[in-house]
Amino acid sequence: MARHTVLGQWHRRHGANPAEFAGYEMPLWYPAGARAEHLAVLTAVGVFDTSHMAVLTVSGPGAFGLLQRCHTRDLGALLPPADPPRCTYGVFLDARGHVVDDAVVYGLSPDRFLVVVNAGMGPRVAAHLAAHAPGPGAGIADLTDRLGKIDVQGPGAARVLEPLLADPDRAFQDLGYFRFRGHFDPKAPEAGQVRWHDGTPVLLSRTGYTGEFGFELYVEARRAPTIWADLVEAGEGRGLLPCGLAARDSLRTGAVLPLAHQDLGDWPFVRNPWTRVLPLGPGGTGYTKEFLGRAAIEAAVDAAWTLPFAGFDPRKVPSGASVRSGSGRELGTVLTCATDMGIDRVEGRIVSVASPNRPAGFTPRGLCCGFVRVGEPLPPGTRVELRHGRRSIPVEIVSDIRPDRTARVPIGAMRTRRSASSQEEPR
Amino acid sequence: MKTLDELILPHDLRYTRDHEWARVEGDLVRVGITDYAQDQLGDVVYVELPEPGQTFARGEAFGTVESVKAVSELYLPVGGEIVEVNAGLSEAPQLVNESPYDRGWMVVVRPSDPAEIKGLLDVEAYREHLKGIE
Repeated sequence: MARHTVLGQWHRRHGANPAEFAGYEMPLWYPAGARAEHLAVLTAVGVFDTSHMAVLTVSGPGAFGLLQRCHTRDLGALLPPADPPRCTYGVFLDARGHVVDDAVVYGLSPDRFLVVVNAGMGPRVAAHLAAHAPGPGAGIADLTDRLGKIDVQGPGAARVLEPLLADPDRAFQDLGYFRFRGHFDPKAPEAGQVRWHDGTPVLLSRTGYTGEFGFELYVEARRAPTIWADLVEAGEGRGLLPCGLAARDSLRTGAVLPLAHQDLGDWPFVRNPWTRVLPLGPGGTGYTKEFLGRAAIEAAVDAAWTLPFAGFDPRKVPSGASVRSGSGRELGTVLTCATDMGIDRVEGRIVSVASPNRPAGFTPRGLCCGFVRVGEPLPPGTRVELRHGRRSIPVEIVSDIRPDRTARVPIGAMRTRRSASSQEEPR
Repeated sequence: MKTLDELILPHDLRYTRDHEWARVEGDLVRVGITDYAQDQLGDVVYVELPEPGQTFARGEAFGTVESVKAVSELYLPVGGEIVEVNAGLSEAPQLVNESPYDRGWMVVVRPSDPAEIKGLLDVEAYREHLKGIE
């Protein structure tokens, strides 16, 4: 029987269409529909219940050494914690160079880290870390059931959050991309740094999986329903919509973000668009540290290429469909194929509903996009066909998909930016 | 998702187990997908329809309907010649969600064997079929 997050009752009361995902019953979309939810994140605000994600703590004098050995990123950048402290996205590889899971690591202090992995992956990642600990001194705990996690994503995210935080100026100060502040545990020394208006301690991070400006909020599970309700109420009139898994999937695909175990999985982690998660040296060559799996991916000679693509209309095919060259030669398979409903082509160029230079009255039909896994390098601009049954869909290998994403825009600019879909005045 | 009680299932239509509807209009048959089908699919983003003049057998795939979630084949309830397609769906595929029995219709068929319509489900049989799916 599927599990529910602490927000499950709210989802049911508000007409969410359910889907089972990693053992949890989660909203696929709400009554507004996935298209409206996707567009809300590009032009206003969306809130996502991601409480099913697994959260581990790794602490003790051996914590840094363990994570530094297992995570692909050089976690030295998390030490010593700055103000605000940093987090980083990378992957855990096994000795074959295959992905165990992707993970964001938060550096609280030199001997305390949070590790956020995918739904249902807490026990597996904890076991993986324990098995590869170079020695004693690192305690691993799974906090998943104690936490609620809510993502607030979109250009209006800061403006919706501001009136709900006890001290928004302090919370947002210098909060760059992949920085965070505060803690959900009232006993943690950082707990007072970000508080909800009612005093609830919050860990607020400038991260997310949509490619757009926004935050992830971690709170004690019992506080999550109040915080969710506050957000929904504060977002009235600002275009806020609760968003489900369908919009999350289409947003992340358009942002060229992978889905673990589908776009990165049981094959060597090489020749993909996510090399930035490897500890590459200057010029993108050579690794700056040792990590589990490094030798395997350096030795990989026959691994496939994972490449992003974008189509010319919303048509798509299921995962596993074949990829053919223009002459019909088999090249590989489709890993993900989704429709990013916020983009379309204008005279061949991809334009987003949030692009500053979009034509007047631009109403995107959406474009299919995603990732293929093929046996040879295909440069951007290469046309291939995705085939499934009667369908043969032409798509183009690209280096990027949805333009004008806001994830990295400075927070000061986003606090004063007018939402595209609301009438509110700048602050 | 809509409950069975919330679904709109007109009495003057015939239905398939694949969730298409058929409405007899003189010697022609208008075809679309049911309220149940559009509700399950979610937002429809693309509808691929045949050209007028093409012929299909009963149960043959004549097009596809694409939502944010899935790509689904459309199966013809009765065999025959396509005499008209809903051109409005190319610009406004969301009509399938908004008006599945009216503005969201898909094709009009001239049946090669009008008796095939009798082999389709009536509303009560289709409702029973949906109960079996739930």
